[in-house]
Amino acid sequence: MPDVKPAMRVIYIPILLLFAAFLFLPLGMLFVRSFETADGINLSNYLTVLSNAELMKSFGNSVKISGLTAVITTVLAFFLAYSIHCTRLYSPLKSVIKTGILIPMLLPTITFGFAIIYSFGNQGIITKIFGRNLFDIYGFNGLLIGYVIYTLPSAFLLINNSFKYMDKKFIIVSKLMGDGTIRSFLNTIIRPLSGTLGGAFVLSFILSFTDFGIPASVGGTYTVVATQLYQVMLGSIPDFNNGAVIAILMLIPVVFSVFLLNYLEKLNFHYDKFSDIELTQHKGRDICFGGISLLVLIGMFSVFAVMFIAPFLTSFPYDLTFTLKHFIDTFQSSDLTAVYKNSLFVALMTAVLGTFIAFSSAVLNVRTPLKGKSSMDVISMLTNTVPGMVLGLSYLLLFNGSSWKGTFAIIILCNMVHFFTTPYLMAKNSLSKMNPGWETTGNLLGDSWIRTIYRVILPNSASTVIEMFSYYFINSMVTISGIIFLVTAQTTLVASKIKELQHFAKFNEIFILSLLIFFTNLVVKLLCDHYQKRQFKH
Amino acid sequence: MLKLQNISKQFDGKSVLDHINLEIKTGEIVSLLGPSGSGKTTLLHIILGLTGINHGKIIFNDTDLSNVPMKDRGFNIVFQDYALFPHLNAYENIVYGLRNRKGSVSKEELQEYINFLELTPHLKKRISELSGGQKQRVSIARTLVMKPKILLLDEPLSALDGVIKESIKERIKSIAREFKLTTIIVTHDPEEALTMSDKILIINQGNISQFGSPQEIINQPANDFVKEFILKQLEIKRENIYNLFGEKYA
Repeated sequence: MPDVKPAMRVIYIPILLLFAAFLFLPLGMLFVRSFETADGINLSNYLTVLSNAELMKSFGNSVKISGLTAVITTVLAFFLAYSIHCTRLYSPLKSVIKTGILIPMLLPTITFGFAIIYSFGNQGIITKIFGRNLFDIYGFNGLLIGYVIYTLPSAFLLINNSFKYMDKKFIIVSKLMGDGTIRSFLNTIIRPLSGTLGGAFVLSFILSFTDFGIPASVGGTYTVVATQLYQVMLGSIPDFNNGAVIAILMLIPVVFSVFLLNYLEKLNFHYDKFSDIELTQHKGRDICFGGISLLVLIGMFSVFAVMFIAPFLTSFPYDLTFTLKHFIDTFQSSDLTAVYKNSLFVALMTAVLGTFIAFSSAVLNVRTPLKGKSSMDVISMLTNTVPGMVLGLSYLLLFNGSSWKGTFAIIILCNMVHFFTTPYLMAKNSLSKMNPGWETTGNLLGDSWIRTIYRVILPNSASTVIEMFSYYFINSMVTISGIIFLVTAQTTLVASKIKELQHFAKFNEIFILSLLIFFTNLVVKLLCDHYQKRQFKH
Repeated sequence: MLKLQNISKQFDGKSVLDHINLEIKTGEIVSLLGPSGSGKTTLLHIILGLTGINHGKIIFNDTDLSNVPMKDRGFNIVFQDYALFPHLNAYENIVYGLRNRKGSVSKEELQEYINFLELTPHLKKRISELSGGQKQRVSIARTLVMKPKILLLDEPLSALDGVIKESIKERIKSIAREFKLTTIIVTHDPEEALTMSDKILIINQGNISQFGSPQEIINQPANDFVKEFILKQLEIKRENIYNLFGEKYA
């Protein structure tokens, strides 16, 4: 490892200052405001909130529905991952499952709600197909479907990844030792995966608990914490101090969950070496798991199908003639195209600056001997913990009176901080695998530290940097919980515009905007994947 | 000539090297031999300038280098795992440093290094396509074009398989002869050390056990450590080989 160079400090200090100003300060402010009352600092805000029966009920609702979502999602995600890794399904079908399940990630959660309404509602496609209302979608049922679709891709990625690093030789060994199906399954699949399955549960719980988009669209009268927080902050009588209290209370289960996640991490098996091994033939197993996976996928697609159909019809579901009128109208409306441009701008800026900050932070932590470099890990744990809504709210409290209010800068910074953890960990992981002698070698060959980073470390991280960019871009395009408190009429983004259009029941516009986000994200994702593959070929 | 005077090094209060004194003549091949944890790699890094010292002086051709940073000492190292840059091909790796020292090596000289190390057929290859021995030669070439005043090699043979080891040994000897280059090698294998160096420095627990030519070490081991750990290994090897070929080869 190289000695401490001034160049390292030149990068380190501004990054620390950035997080001080846009993570620690706002959260500190939030904390203070939650105790602030007309008669000074005391607990009365907390007492007000805790004695509010409706608020407490929505807390209970949130916990209940998030818990149920987490159970369903974990089970489904496990089925999907198992189909991919432990069956001899036709391999193109495996690719379809692997790719298809990730599609919801390209859409804002608020769109899920409207897709559900248009599928299962009184006039919905699925309702028409079955000839009757399957169930009441506003409230519990709609939320549950939305949350499961929303959390399934993340849970799947987590479990799928663990399966990849699991030594499947043990399945064969267990068979040879005479284990029955159940014992073999428990010992070679469930036990090694227990940490990950727990992790998938906790992750699904946090995601549902803190999401705003789904309850905003399909929540009905079933109140949850996220909608309550929005009501208190931006409702008819805004109450910033009580909002701060709710945000703090929202943080508590999440903090608890993050500790639980760290604990569960310890349950995971770490195989030194793992080798690919042929799986045994078993037609029944393959048909069973293939069938279930396809059903999950079809179920998910059927919900989104309406989004691709309705905007092309004159007046769904009454007049089903094909038309491009809605599209032409939308694209001619300068209002909507401006919103789309805003979103693009914010996503692009977030992706560029965010990737720069996350990559620099990882370089400082992994490849320098700087004192206090592990503060980057603390920051990343914190950004992982704070839900978007809480972060956005704390920005609102801190910057409300300042000239930062209503700027794009504040939205971009919020996204950068909100989504920091994953890209940072991506970079850290890739940088720590690189040869520790490169900086010394570069130095001996006449390069300064920063030049070695540029000439050697960066080119060898190209694939990771592209992945980080893609992650930041897509998440900035779809997030609503992070920015809902920060947008103004001038800085509206597509996701928040959809929320606005809801009040005017302009569902065609909602779907067209959603499609715009979807295809933009799809293009960015495909481009990034393409460049990533090209990097690997070298 | 490289002189180490009274070099001491502690890590977190624990002594790793204790009052090391040493003189290495120009053009000599010297091996630093010792078990793991003996301090031999630390000593190599101290000469390179990667690791600082708590005590003592490093003097090269009458200049005190003790406080000169690594980059300005003019020494260079080939790491055990070569540390080649995987995004560049073999040739690009070799000329990496030339961008920073324009004109220090002429085209002809560069070609001479490449020919000498027999790398011409491999120049366009990616690093992942090279064998272990080829990687090592690329790494040596990359170091040599910087015209180091001392060449340091960290366990140069440990990552190579049997057949190629002998040829790399010869190669290292011929480099030192051809370019009159002082070469310092870290190794834990007595056979390697005694068959390719002019002098061997045997280190044990941060102290010098013996410094001398291969003959001196074989014939006049300085202490029990040299006898027990260094010579014993060689004797066992000799026994095994005799047994394989029969006594008549003795």
